[in-house]
Amino acid sequence: MTLREDQWAEAMRAERRGDAVAYDRLLKEIAVVLHRLIRSRLAKFGLSMAETEDVVQEVLIGLHSKRHTWDDTKPFMPWLYAITHYKFIDTARRLRRDAARRVNITMEEMAEIFEAPTEDRDWALLDIDRHLADLSQGQRQVVRALGIDGATVRATAERLHTSEGSVRVLYHRALRRLAAKARRDETP
Amino acid sequence: MAAATQTDDLIARLAREAGSGGGIGPRALTAILVVAALGGLGLAMALVLALDGPRADLAAAVYRAPFAYKVAGMLTLSLGGLFLAARAALPGSGRLNLAAFLPAVLVLAFRAATDRSGLSVMGNSDISVHECVLTILGVSLPPLAVLLGVMRLGAPTRPALAGAIAGALSGGLGAAAYALACKNDAGLFVAIWYPLAILVMATLGAAAGRRLLAW
Repeated sequence: MTLREDQWAEAMRAERRGDAVAYDRLLKEIAVVLHRLIRSRLAKFGLSMAETEDVVQEVLIGLHSKRHTWDDTKPFMPWLYAITHYKFIDTARRLRRDAARRVNITMEEMAEIFEAPTEDRDWALLDIDRHLADLSQGQRQVVRALGIDGATVRATAERLHTSEGSVRVLYHRALRRLAAKARRDETP
Repeated sequence: MAAATQTDDLIARLAREAGSGGGIGPRALTAILVVAALGGLGLAMALVLALDGPRADLAAAVYRAPFAYKVAGMLTLSLGGLFLAARAALPGSGRLNLAAFLPAVLVLAFRAATDRSGLSVMGNSDISVHECVLTILGVSLPPLAVLLGVMRLGAPTRPALAGAIAGALSGGLGAAAYALACKNDAGLFVAIWYPLAILVMATLGAAAGRRLLAW
């Protein structure tokens, strides 16, 4: 640990002297560590590991744009930790908000759903089963609960013992997949 | 794998900017913060004199205990706030321990406990409390704006808390300046209503910091 502290602090000092090679190597090493660290934490935030790269990049940009605030007579790791923690929380919050917004259904969409013709009901149900077969177990449960049974996100999250965030993410993924499949079906 | 390549591209782009970080370093930032606090105090004093004018007996009052305790209490609080503000603006510079405000609390409590003057907690007139709290809030706003502007030059990793600290610091400076005009010398008056105004400033600062100090 102290070895890493010394190496990274030295690389940060090298950056100030304009040493692009040392800085490049430092950022790569930090990215590897961040990747491992952030991957394991994202699930707790109701986000999928697919967002890891986004968060890593945000931390790197934050580190880069605020690198002048590090006091080179003090340890580098506490500084890096504070920046990482802040950018992780900040980005995770933003991603979760975005996911929630994408899944939100507008009043117009609701009205369309209610006014849609209801004949061929049984066929529609059969179709639903056929389409849902393509989804993963978790996605299927969420789509069934939210899209067909009309349950709330919270109730679904409780029933499936998971967070509201991950229900939203699952639902969003499932819809994207169904949409992609629908496009494929239309253009044979 | 596409995302990982993107990260490598980003790193290559950032690395090319090595040596061009022209921001203000930690020691310079701390110095600027001290200057900003002094400037904020001057600003608040000018505002107090412009709005209320000095208390009629100021020349005599400055040599007496009530005035000295007011100023000592508020400046002690400001020093604690300044210490925390510098830490809040610079990542990894240590915990933000609110015990930094403890000396000020002790000064105010000691003065309140030993005050035998028998003056009212509510001040000399019906509007003393209003006037005191509102004036402190008013004259603390310019210092708050200055301090937030300086802290933006750093990298506050807890924007709301950093803003609250800036608010408390500007409240302390405003209250110290207000001592020039305040005729209410009761120890309890100063121990209750001054800190109330400072708490309001801290809340305001937290709300402002959440937006202005995020990066």
